[in-house]
Amino acid sequence: MNERPTMIEFQDVHKYYGDYHALRGINATIKAGEFFSLLGPSGCGKTTLLRTIAGFEEISSGAVLIDGKHMEGVPANQRPTNMVFQSYAIFPHLTVEENVGFGLRRERLAKDVLARRVGEALEMVGLKGYGARGAHALSGGQRQRVALARALILKPKVLLLDEPLSALDKKMREQMQVELIKLQRQVGITFILVTHDQEEALVMSDRIAVMFEGEIAQLADPETLYRRPNSRKVADFIGTMNFMPASVVSESGGRIEVDTQGFGRVEIDAAQAPGATTGNGTSIGFRPETLTVLFEGQVAADRECMATIEEVVYFGDMTYYDVRLDGMQTPVRISMRNVFGRPVLDIGTRTRVAWSPGALVLFR
Amino acid sequence: MSLATRWARFRKSEGGSGLALVSPTAIYAILLLAAPLATILLFSVLTDGYLVVEPVFTFGNYIETWTNRIYRSVMMRSLGVSVAVTVLTVLLAYPVAYFVSFHVQPSKKSLWLFLITIPFWTSYLIRVFLWKVILGYNGVINSGLMATGIIDEPLTAISYNVQAFVVTLAHAYAPFAILPIYVVLEKIDRSLLEAGQDLGESKFRTFLRVTLPLSVPGIAAAVLIVFIPTIGDYVTPNLIGGGKIPMIANMIEVLMLVRDNKPLGAAIAVSAMAIVTAVSLLFLFTIRKYLRGQK
Repeated sequence: MNERPTMIEFQDVHKYYGDYHALRGINATIKAGEFFSLLGPSGCGKTTLLRTIAGFEEISSGAVLIDGKHMEGVPANQRPTNMVFQSYAIFPHLTVEENVGFGLRRERLAKDVLARRVGEALEMVGLKGYGARGAHALSGGQRQRVALARALILKPKVLLLDEPLSALDKKMREQMQVELIKLQRQVGITFILVTHDQEEALVMSDRIAVMFEGEIAQLADPETLYRRPNSRKVADFIGTMNFMPASVVSESGGRIEVDTQGFGRVEIDAAQAPGATTGNGTSIGFRPETLTVLFEGQVAADRECMATIEEVVYFGDMTYYDVRLDGMQTPVRISMRNVFGRPVLDIGTRTRVAWSPGALVLFR
Repeated sequence: MSLATRWARFRKSEGGSGLALVSPTAIYAILLLAAPLATILLFSVLTDGYLVVEPVFTFGNYIETWTNRIYRSVMMRSLGVSVAVTVLTVLLAYPVAYFVSFHVQPSKKSLWLFLITIPFWTSYLIRVFLWKVILGYNGVINSGLMATGIIDEPLTAISYNVQAFVVTLAHAYAPFAILPIYVVLEKIDRSLLEAGQDLGESKFRTFLRVTLPLSVPGIAAAVLIVFIPTIGDYVTPNLIGGGKIPMIANMIEVLMLVRDNKPLGAAIAVSAMAIVTAVSLLFLFTIRKYLRGQK
């Protein structure tokens, strides 16, 4: 992926609304053909950043480059980007066809050429035959498809998606996620998605920038972000993370020795401490699925310890156990895939728990 | 089933309570609107007698109305003035409504609307009279221009004529046009305008292709609100025109009250109503594409 050319470059981008500092020095590059997500809680500046690409927000300082060109002073209608709005912004006075062909009007195409291109765009998003419908006669999912077709028909260099799936119900959202990924592979255009849904970002993106309070906290591919979050904040925002108080005993040659409350002394790789030192205290983090409750006769692949089950949450395919490891005050969560023929354990059961030093992340 | 139980049932039913709720308004409307209208309609097909209306059926009043050159030209003049007033009012109102909706800070919008309605605080008659003071022979404009030496004698082109009516009426009806246009502009989703620009159109082209078509319902409301009452206005012609240039409403007044020819006055009134209705319907029919199918 590294050999791909750069499509978007943010150079120390700042944005102020009066006294409010909305973007605080954004530096990032987005590559051509990449599915890139801006992920963060509401108010973190992700939508503002997206709108600086589209040209709807002027930046206070810094620079935004699209395909190597400075975008300062270039109005939205002259940028090689198109946007799918959160509200879809389907023109209510136009039919589906007229909506999709809106941006082609300036090209003054012959009627049959226009009709063919609109037809192709509608077919691409699965709305063949809907052309003559009024925009008001569409469901949420269909509006979204019209918005996509309307943007993609102009063959932009970058497609911007502002929380496009947030208005859809869960089933529809999951279906559209897959369709969007397929569509992006098919057209090969750079997609930039803004979302507050970490699962959506993980499913869809090649790379994700996690934003908090106008800054990018971490920019990485989904797997790195999930396995090696560089701060407790990122770890907490993406998925579930257990934290355990710890202290660093020694550090040498790429190995770190840590004393933990629940696992005792453990040696980890320096790569398992990806974050900078914050001074907010040291802790060890691990995902719920990296621990396993051991049943009789099972042997831990790596290490094991003793624990008491304090809470059981049954999900059908999964069971969540909140267990208190011996030596710890607070419980940690373990998620286990349910296997047929194996019982769900009761609250209060004493059990062995398997864990692995390689799955730990150190925050300090 | 006895009448009493039926009555009791009716009183409890939804329809019954609904009818009870609307009946005061309905009675008011029937007595003060439907009944006079019916009387006018009836008069228009009866014969004029000396100080009385003879109950003899005739179409003569309508034939007189539609063939007499005087009535026809007054009707055309009234229509012309109304159309001019409507066009001028809406053209001037649109930018005001647009400015308040798109460029005034949300927190200051209600203040602006409040200021726009200030002319309503004075009576219509006084406002019309003020225009007489401004436009008149010895009015503000003429004396001002004479004092500065730009003109030697008062301009006659600004008073006692049709243009003066149009200016006066356009001012009087401005808030009626601003408010409905403002309301539809407020309802336009701002992301639609961003979408227009995002799809490659300039701000002005986006206005033409998105904002303007979406504001048509407001423009239609403004047009009807201004057009329908101005055609029947007779205060302005009396005060501004000095009664020298009659409009259709003045004509009806003269026929009804001075010449005591109620049937002919009624026929002209009904004809004027029919023309207004026809013009309004034609207008709505022409722009029907923009009035439906919006959400």
